[in-house]
Amino acid sequence: MVSVAETRYLLEQLQFSANFPDQVLHRLAQTAKMVEMHAGTVIFREGSLNETLYLIHTGRIALEMNVPGRGAVRILTLGPGEMLAWSALVGEGRMTATAIAIAESQLIALPAPHMRELCEADHEFGYHVMREMAAALARRLVATRLQLLDLFADSAPGTNHAQ
Amino acid sequence: MPNENAAVSKRLPDSDGNPQQSHFVATEAFASIFEVLQGKGYTVIGPTIDQHAIVYDQVRSLQDLPQGWTDRQGAGEYRLERRDDNALFGYVVGPHSWKHFLFPPAMTVATADKTASGWTFQTPEDDPPKYAFLGVRACELAAMRVQDRVFMAGPYVDPAYHQRRSGALIIAVNCSQAAPTCFCTSMGTGPQCTSGFDLALTELTDGFVIAAATRDGEEILSELKSRPATVEELRQAAAVTQRAAEQVERRLDTTNIRDVLFANLDHPRWDDVAQRCLSCANCTMVCPTCFCSSVQEVSDLSGQHVERQRQWDSCFNFDFSYMNGGVIRDTTRSRYRQWLTHKLASWIDQFGSSGCVGCGRCIAWCPVGIDLTEEVAAIREPTS
Amino acid sequence: MSIPASTTPSSSQQVPNPWQAHAVSIRSIQQEIDGVSTYDLAFDNAAADGTYRFSPGQFNMLYLPGAGEIAISVSDDPARSASSCRHTVRTAGNVTRTLGKLQPGDTLGLRGPFGTAWPMADCIGRDVIIVAGGIGLAPLRPAIYTLLRERRCYGRLNLLLGARSPGTLLYRSEFAQWEERGLVVQTTVDQSTPDWTGNVGVVTLLLERLRSFDPTNSVLLCCGPEVMMKFTAVTAQHRGIPPERIWISMERNMQCAVGLCGHCQWGPEFVCKDGPVFRYDRIARWIDVERL
Ligand SMILES: Cc1cc2nc3c(=O)[nH]c(=O)nc-3n(C[C@H](O)[C@H](O)[C@H](O)COP(=O)(O)OP(=O)(O)OC[C@H]3O[C@@H](n4cnc5c(N)ncnc54)[C@H](O)[C@@H]3O)c2cc1C
Ligand code: SF4
Ligand code: SF4
Ligand code: FES
Repeated sequence: MVSVAETRYLLEQLQFSANFPDQVLHRLAQTAKMVEMHAGTVIFREGSLNETLYLIHTGRIALEMNVPGRGAVRILTLGPGEMLAWSALVGEGRMTATAIAIAESQLIALPAPHMRELCEADHEFGYHVMREMAAALARRLVATRLQLLDLFADSAPGTNHAQ
Repeated sequence: MPNENAAVSKRLPDSDGNPQQSHFVATEAFASIFEVLQGKGYTVIGPTIDQHAIVYDQVRSLQDLPQGWTDRQGAGEYRLERRDDNALFGYVVGPHSWKHFLFPPAMTVATADKTASGWTFQTPEDDPPKYAFLGVRACELAAMRVQDRVFMAGPYVDPAYHQRRSGALIIAVNCSQAAPTCFCTSMGTGPQCTSGFDLALTELTDGFVIAAATRDGEEILSELKSRPATVEELRQAAAVTQRAAEQVERRLDTTNIRDVLFANLDHPRWDDVAQRCLSCANCTMVCPTCFCSSVQEVSDLSGQHVERQRQWDSCFNFDFSYMNGGVIRDTTRSRYRQWLTHKLASWIDQFGSSGCVGCGRCIAWCPVGIDLTEEVAAIREPTS
Repeated sequence: MSIPASTTPSSSQQVPNPWQAHAVSIRSIQQEIDGVSTYDLAFDNAAADGTYRFSPGQFNMLYLPGAGEIAISVSDDPARSASSCRHTVRTAGNVTRTLGKLQPGDTLGLRGPFGTAWPMADCIGRDVIIVAGGIGLAPLRPAIYTLLRERRCYGRLNLLLGARSPGTLLYRSEFAQWEERGLVVQTTVDQSTPDWTGNVGVVTLLLERLRSFDPTNSVLLCCGPEVMMKFTAVTAQHRGIPPERIWISMERNMQCAVGLCGHCQWGPEFVCKDGPVFRYDRIARWIDVERL
């Protein structure tokens, strides 16, 4: 069992929570639970309900979407410092992709209902969590756009206006 | 560079430190300058009428000059008119500039030949004529200084330009009138010729006041029938340029121009001008400082001999910024913006001076009369 | 004070004709990935043989008579033999297709080297992060060879490489050797294939996750599609790397490569002579301007 102090230390190392004030960090550490995922473990499946938000401490997680006729297509891999299953907190909890650990991974699990309660009860806490979440989602959105641009395609105009 | 206005009467020091006298050469005596120059092996290039415009081409005698003609210019407008006198240099500037001769519109820069052991590569012997440019205006001297920096001051020197430029003799003429398109006074380039010439002429009714600025110029002057200019002639000469200076009406506000343009790369005026601009590249072809070119392959029928032909190009041509299957400046807006910001802003970073000398050619030769001074003024207007 | 002889501006000393190409012959061709091959070009001209020197990041103009001339970065080790040098070329259009039809022994023209180089001296004593996308790894390979040759002069070395798909990761066969000599190689692809177990996503995500570097004492070298470089620079700054230690290599249409034809202008910069390698803080203001 990992202590609150240890969890707190780990959270401080993560980009997501590195800049949280003490108070918020402490709350988060109290809520968090460390989980280990072996390579090959399916963390959640596309379309299923999932009530846990994760922050990746170590390891690698792949996100896959099922495309009829093509099977599971790996769309993104996540690594240390990144957030997983954001829709558990801000969506209705239905997962948009399947998450599989593709290496031994240590995740910090945050139960979504409790997080929601905390955000509701303590807007200071809620502000910091939501702000980081928005920033992380914005980064992922940009990354997804870049991926969509297919920059390495054979005749990609190498111009800077394809934004 | 000294920029005082009295330069015609200014006495240039000679090799012994004595002031050089300005001379008076009567028009009939001036006619012999062609023989003098030809005798020294120069090919004389000067103003001549071709297809309703005064262009620069080889001239062999006074008869080739546009005597008694002038040009009437405005935005999108240029036409020749008779003068009521017989002035030889009584016009302003035409569609040509001296870059036609210093930086030829088309030339072979390299060749390749297939031999038994593979391709061999050469740069052709370039043996250009020794040019004497007759009738170079103050703004054109400035344009030459600009192109000198482009072609000769960087880590690589353009051999063709260098060779033509080093051999050239420059006979400048002080303007006696300005066109409504001129704005040399805003750009600090004219109408007075202050440096960069071998000889400078000021045309009076019956002859020229001539000053030499170099030994080459002195030598030529010494072979013309001349006498020291009188005080009255010097006064008249000064009045000629003074009159031209006073006629310059157009203004371009160059205050902070680089920063103003760079800070306004998304100004709505670019969209506005793009509606009017035909992207025809005329302005870059007539501009005496534009230097862009591209290289094409020209093979003989057997494909065993290939010439690399360099031709003038323009940032208004669609393919100019081609890269990776796409074109970067794929809109007229972006191409006009490139042209104007290059001329007036980035040129300063690149070469330490403006790329515009205020000659007004781009205004006169624009088929739809786009006037860069107006565009700059509009960009300077605060946007709402 | 004396009167000048003529108006000719005193030009710089007599410099060689920039249009003169050297004859080179293809010593070997190695296919790297689909559509990309490395050509080892040997100097035929005795005078040029053995004297050719380049710095990592510089490029040559390769000339195929009748087809045209193109800018290609040197992808070789600058410390290797000076009588030949390798270029990694992606088949794009006319000239590169013509090159693709040539055989070892065939000749072509070469002018160069041109342009600015990666700041190898700046890397000494620092962590170095190399971010490459697609063919963008080619101009960075000479930098990698240089770093690995004097490995102890540098801090932690990371290569973050993005490609379209697993099959288009350039120089994959060299990774093991690079890793062995102290360069950590991480790869990612935009489009996964069933057999791919590596990262999926754009290369900026790898930089986002990278831990083994000290942002206050790192140099980042980046080459790839312009949009990728732009976002890499944003991410790098977000990770704390100061803009003056971020370097990118730009591409533009090039005709002359020597600052005379005007084609490669990018704002006030001539990509051929002020670049292709630029320090990010000097060009940050231009990279966001569309259609510049
Ligand atoms: C500094 C620099 C370094 C480069 N390094 C490499 C490299 O290491 N490997 C590599 O594979 N590619 C590199 N490129 C890109 C390479 O120059 C183009 O892919 C190549 O010019 C395409 O020529 P093409 O005739 O096959 O294609 P086309 O699309 O048919 O091009 C037609 C013509 O456009 C002209 N052109 C001029 N500049 C460019 C340009 N930048 N891109 C495209 N066309 C251009 C050429 O005359 C070319 O022949 C580099 C470009 C630059 C500017
Ligand atoms: S931009 Fe126009 S006014 Fe200025 S030098 Fe060129 S042609 Fe003359
Ligand atoms: S980029 Fe355009 S404005 Fe600048 S020199 Fe070339 S043609 Fe003239
Ligand atoms: S390629 Fe000609 S100026 Fe840069």
